[in-house]
Amino acid sequence: MENLLVNCVERNLSQFMLTNAIFLCERLLAEFPSEVNLQLLARCYLSNSQAYSAYYILKGSKMPQSRYLFAFSCFKLDLLGEAEAALLPTEEYVEEVPGGAAGHYLLGLIYRYAGRKNTSIQQFRMALSLDPLCWEAYGELCSLGAAEEASTVFGNVAAQRLQKACVSQRINFSEGETIDQLTDSDKASKDASLGQTEHVPGENQQDLKIKQLGPDIPPDTDKQRNSSSHSNGWDLNTPSPVLSQVLDAPPPILYKNMRRPAVEGLMSVHGESRRKFVSEEVSAEAPEESRCRRSARIAARRKIPMLQSYGKDSHWLHLSPSEPNCVPSLSSMIGKYRIQSSNEATTSGQSLSDIGSSIDDEDNSNPSGSSPDPCSLNSGISEVLNLLKLLGDGHRNLLMYKCQEALLVYQNLSEKQYNTHWVLLQVGKAYFELQDYFNADSVFTLAHQKSPYALEGMDTYSTVLYHLKQEMRLGYLAQELISVDRLSPETWCALGNCYSLRKDHETALKMFQRAIQLNERFTYAHTLCGHEFAALEEFEDAERCYRRALSIDIRHYNAWYGLGMAYLHQEKYEFAQHQFQQALWINPRSSVIMCYSGIALHESKRNDEALKMMEKAILTDARNPLPKYYKANILANLGDYHKALKVLQELKDSAPEESSVHALLGKVYKQLELYDKAVLHFGIALDLNATPSDTVKIKACMERLIVPNELETEEDL
Amino acid sequence: MATESSESEEEGKIRGGNEKLIVEDDLREMGKNAAWSVSSCKPGNGVNTLRDDNLETYWQSDGLQPHLINIQFQKKVKLQLVFLYVDFKLDESYTPSKISIRAGDGFHNLKEIKSVELVKPTGWVCLSLSGTDPRETFVNTFMLQIAILSNHLNGRDTHIRQIKVYGPRPNPIPRQTFQFTSMEFLTYSTLR
Repeated sequence: MENLLVNCVERNLSQFMLTNAIFLCERLLAEFPSEVNLQLLARCYLSNSQAYSAYYILKGSKMPQSRYLFAFSCFKLDLLGEAEAALLPTEEYVEEVPGGAAGHYLLGLIYRYAGRKNTSIQQFRMALSLDPLCWEAYGELCSLGAAEEASTVFGNVAAQRLQKACVSQRINFSEGETIDQLTDSDKASKDASLGQTEHVPGENQQDLKIKQLGPDIPPDTDKQRNSSSHSNGWDLNTPSPVLSQVLDAPPPILYKNMRRPAVEGLMSVHGESRRKFVSEEVSAEAPEESRCRRSARIAARRKIPMLQSYGKDSHWLHLSPSEPNCVPSLSSMIGKYRIQSSNEATTSGQSLSDIGSSIDDEDNSNPSGSSPDPCSLNSGISEVLNLLKLLGDGHRNLLMYKCQEALLVYQNLSEKQYNTHWVLLQVGKAYFELQDYFNADSVFTLAHQKSPYALEGMDTYSTVLYHLKQEMRLGYLAQELISVDRLSPETWCALGNCYSLRKDHETALKMFQRAIQLNERFTYAHTLCGHEFAALEEFEDAERCYRRALSIDIRHYNAWYGLGMAYLHQEKYEFAQHQFQQALWINPRSSVIMCYSGIALHESKRNDEALKMMEKAILTDARNPLPKYYKANILANLGDYHKALKVLQELKDSAPEESSVHALLGKVYKQLELYDKAVLHFGIALDLNATPSDTVKIKACMERLIVPNELETEEDL
Repeated sequence: MATESSESEEEGKIRGGNEKLIVEDDLREMGKNAAWSVSSCKPGNGVNTLRDDNLETYWQSDGLQPHLINIQFQKKVKLQLVFLYVDFKLDESYTPSKISIRAGDGFHNLKEIKSVELVKPTGWVCLSLSGTDPRETFVNTFMLQIAILSNHLNGRDTHIRQIKVYGPRPNPIPRQTFQFTSMEFLTYSTLR
């Protein structure tokens, strides 16, 4: 009865019949109380977003797997201290962190949320060294500013690790007959020849076979994803560790086959199903990969249902089709996979056909401990790692704000990878950081078109539209986002930007506050709130918001910039300069920040430094006309009118439509007593639609100019 | 300039009013930074009602004419428009008729800058503070005083439902004399 129930629960979990799973699991637990069953129930609760239930049932559990699940529930409930205690090794329990790389990653997150930056960096590095495909850890390191070069992280050491992991896993189940076939998951290349019927997972068949294997399978010896604690926990049902290894093994080869065509379609499907552990983006493969692995590790697996939810139906090629237990969704996934991988088979190179032939051999021979083809494994691993290297390089460059380099790196990606949502977002963000809003707009539009359901990065897109003053498109975007997901902070950020563009700062503020309510750790929402308060001239509240943003992510240079602006408005120039310095330290190539730093310096009477800063800004971004304008302004204020004139003449030619340039020219000419030129430029400034308050000033200046002339003529007479 | 009321200005007379308050983008409401006070009021109809964004509540004076509304700022501000919401149909003899607007540094040196007569107003009435001179679009002052000199039908006390004061937006970039107008300059002028 126990196995039947467990089977059923696993099936339900994979098909998301969660309440059914919980019910059955409770019956199971009542009849056969054991820690493994408890873990299963916890999994059901976690899948059903009932972290609190999982928390209560797992409290005090000692098994590593339970501790991992418990820590995860604590994390969800924001009980960081307990989560940390559960994950840290003590003498009582085991020497290692439960859950391996996933455990370290979770610890890293916990430390990061608690503000313990260095320990979190350590943990993320551990996670990466244990599992090089734990992309999220690398992403976190990048955003903390402590990431190493992608080529080291995803380099040879990583390749070796992955190899060892795969190989040792294969040895473990080389004894099992059917399981052996399972490892040759790159049967994808053979798809064309296989009919649809064969791919219906015959789980019952498989179950029986697994049971037969039973105690024959030796405990795993692999280090990487299966720490010693892992095997302790899962000895109760020996098939499970085996299956977990089976699960873990195929991925590298699968990647090779699946990477290009299948990534978007299949991965995104899996992404949705595996969302429970990681909430981040879907389209990158590495997170997908680690997610699956984690779930594989975590599950108190007894059955292939785990495998089948991982979805690579090729496992069951050689099982006789029994009653199709899987749902239509699964077979549609399978169908998609078939089509895509058959495309892959026809389009990709020789390596696949090599594997294909090796598979043929294995299929035909009596499966008994045949070792997998090492070449295919290696090439698979290296391809994955190469891809991750590229992506990691780009990501790291972007987060260090070396946007030009990041763009170059992303150009090197294959077209198919480039056209995925995540990469397009990165490219868009790079253009955004370079203040190249037109290009950013086109890239973001493309990204949004491709994946209208993916909301990540849409807050940046809305800011781009805000900068371009595209009210209609911004409004339209906001509407679309609401229709996709009312409960996502990005939606409310976009809405807030909409209102802010219309200068309705109070409503915009409300929108951003809603975004914060939805996700307190959404840094950008805090910064935007700060901007709105600043626009309403409530500088204390603005400062509070900016500091809150900085407490979540100290490298969020927009918040430093906002603080600087707030101080600048309140005429606290020294403080302002300090904030701009901090911002520049994080993003040294932002000409806008350099301009403001220069203004603050000038107001603090550090004029040489101010001018130097403006020079630097001019050099950094030649397209930005403002440093020249500010430089001319400073020179004029210092009385150096001729130099100011020179700069303004250049500026006038490069930006003929800007009224403030002519207004400043007029002022300078007036100081130089070249009144007719002054009047000329004031006139042009007025023609160029100066703002009303400027119009008043300019007219006043013009009046005063004419008067001295009249006085002269009177005297002459 | 702001749009709105059907101003038939024969000798400073204003008829009618607007139902909706529509102001141009380049102006913003300045009343939040000011201290508001009135010369007298009936309990329950105090100065708060002038700023509560509720057109149902009104300020009712309780003393001799002229009734005064004082708006004091902490530093000199540029003001351009004053909007009053008054309604003859609702308030009849409490509706103000002759209004004088004075500005200055404090109570001791207020000078009249505008004088109007309302004729059966119904809604938002716009009083522009600019002089005839194009240089004087704004009035740069510490204090504004709105004096109700007389009411319709010779009423003693007055009702005013809401007051809003508008001035130009400050330059988003601090310490710069002139504001930017072209897209190129504006795009590079801020980060968000």
